[in-house]
Amino acid sequence: MRRPWVVLGLVLVVAACTGPVRSFPVYESKAGDTAEVVASAVETARLAVDAARDNKAHGRYLTQVLVEAEEDAGSAQGTFDGIQPPDRQADELRDRLDELLTEATGTLAELRIAARRGELAELPKLAAPLTEVAEGLHAFAEDHA
Amino acid sequence: MKRLFSVALGILTAIGGFVDIGDIVANSETGARFGMSLAWVVVVGVIGICLFAEMAGRVATVSGRAVFDLVRERLGARVALVNLVASFFITFLTLAAEIGGVALAIELATSVNYLLWVPIVAFCVWLVIWRVKFEVMENAFGLLGLTLVVAAVALWRLGPDWGGLLHGATHPVVPQGEGHPTWWFFAIALLGAAMTPYEVFFFSSGAVEEGWSRADLITNRLNVYIGFPLGGLLSLVLMAGATLFLEPRGIQPGHLSQVALPTVLVLGKLGLAVLLIGFFAATFGAALETGLSCGYSIAQYFGFQWGKFVRPAQAPRFHLVVLVSVLAGAGLILTTLDPITVTEYSIVLSAAALPLTYFPILVVANDPDYMGDKVNSRFTNALGSLYLLVLVVVAVATIPLMVLTKAGS
Repeated sequence: MRRPWVVLGLVLVVAACTGPVRSFPVYESKAGDTAEVVASAVETARLAVDAARDNKAHGRYLTQVLVEAEEDAGSAQGTFDGIQPPDRQADELRDRLDELLTEATGTLAELRIAARRGELAELPKLAAPLTEVAEGLHAFAEDHA
Repeated sequence: MKRLFSVALGILTAIGGFVDIGDIVANSETGARFGMSLAWVVVVGVIGICLFAEMAGRVATVSGRAVFDLVRERLGARVALVNLVASFFITFLTLAAEIGGVALAIELATSVNYLLWVPIVAFCVWLVIWRVKFEVMENAFGLLGLTLVVAAVALWRLGPDWGGLLHGATHPVVPQGEGHPTWWFFAIALLGAAMTPYEVFFFSSGAVEEGWSRADLITNRLNVYIGFPLGGLLSLVLMAGATLFLEPRGIQPGHLSQVALPTVLVLGKLGLAVLLIGFFAATFGAALETGLSCGYSIAQYFGFQWGKFVRPAQAPRFHLVVLVSVLAGAGLILTTLDPITVTEYSIVLSAAALPLTYFPILVVANDPDYMGDKVNSRFTNALGSLYLLVLVVVAVATIPLMVLTKAGS
């Protein structure tokens, strides 16, 4: 009588675990998901910068938006970097994505620092690289969905 | 004139009180990811909550007892216990999410980490429940919650393609790149947010708190049939804002700050200030309602004296449950569990528990011993049975879909 419950328990435990990435397609899919998450953070920051440029939001709110955008991007990058690439092809993919992720998180950090210092007028200039980074991330996510 | 004012106030309160952190998060996330393609779920959810809240309110009004006060008597201790456990767990999770939501709203205004606000918010929630009169409490936060209408003003000022939005809502398709299981998972989350169990607990117990009599049956209907749908409209406004601003940019909102962006970009600082007041009022009001509902459900099951219509000294166990629930809810958020994640799980698990909450209401509302000539009509029963069928399917599908879609991620 207890056997079905044991089987169900095992199925749930297995379902709850994330196994190691053993193949390129799975790794590629995770890379695509990461690009999507970081693109979302970058686009959020761009909207916040638009609001700052037009003087449409107070500094505390903008700081909060930018802090959270940086945290989201950093957390996604950290998780992705922790995944073992299964082969050489995955190494290449990792390098390409990491370049975009590093550019994104670096710029988001600069925006957060400026916002915390109350230098809201500086935000549009600092955010300039994000347009290209966002395009790159969207394209990457689409190519590797 | 006084009666008219009371009815109008009730409707306004119902509108403002309808939206809580679950609605705010679920509608924005859905709009950002699926456009208006799941708007129909909000409509289904609003009809469902109207149907069962009206029943619960009518039971309380006619019998003078809250509906879950009668469940144990009518269905027995075992069935009522299953109902209690499921509903209490969901209501408690929702309470924790609302406390976190209030703290997040304050964080947006102050840039001080939300965790520092959690104990203060929890204390204020308890203090208001302890000290403030029920009607004052309900009306104040319900009316203040109406400030969320600013999101509708922003949408109107933006002048969107209304036809496009309507087309998206009336011709639901799963967007490219999204799977059907994920789409259905989000549909379930939206339904859970619209029909969350505490709403009927609070509504029926509130009717007893306010001493409704048969003369108030019309107030019950107007509150439910006008107030709730207009509250549902606010949910759709949040979805539309996310559809227009966040979806085209691929933004997946996981923070309250992102939900505010459409209003900020259209209405600027004033709009942001009003919206933050709305977020605060909606979440604080819901924290009061869920805190009270925790007390109502336990006290009504065990037969303790309950309610704010008696002095706290006369209902000590009720107030103790409320206090412990508020403390535990705050404790859960202080573990640094993301309040938005708690919200997401609370609304999805709420969907899984819906039949357990709503089935007993249907039974009690059909019992002539309690209801006399005010039992459900045939139409209400037919619709209620249809909803229960749907809710059972939803409850069965929720957990498998959650596992399959990794909770919609």
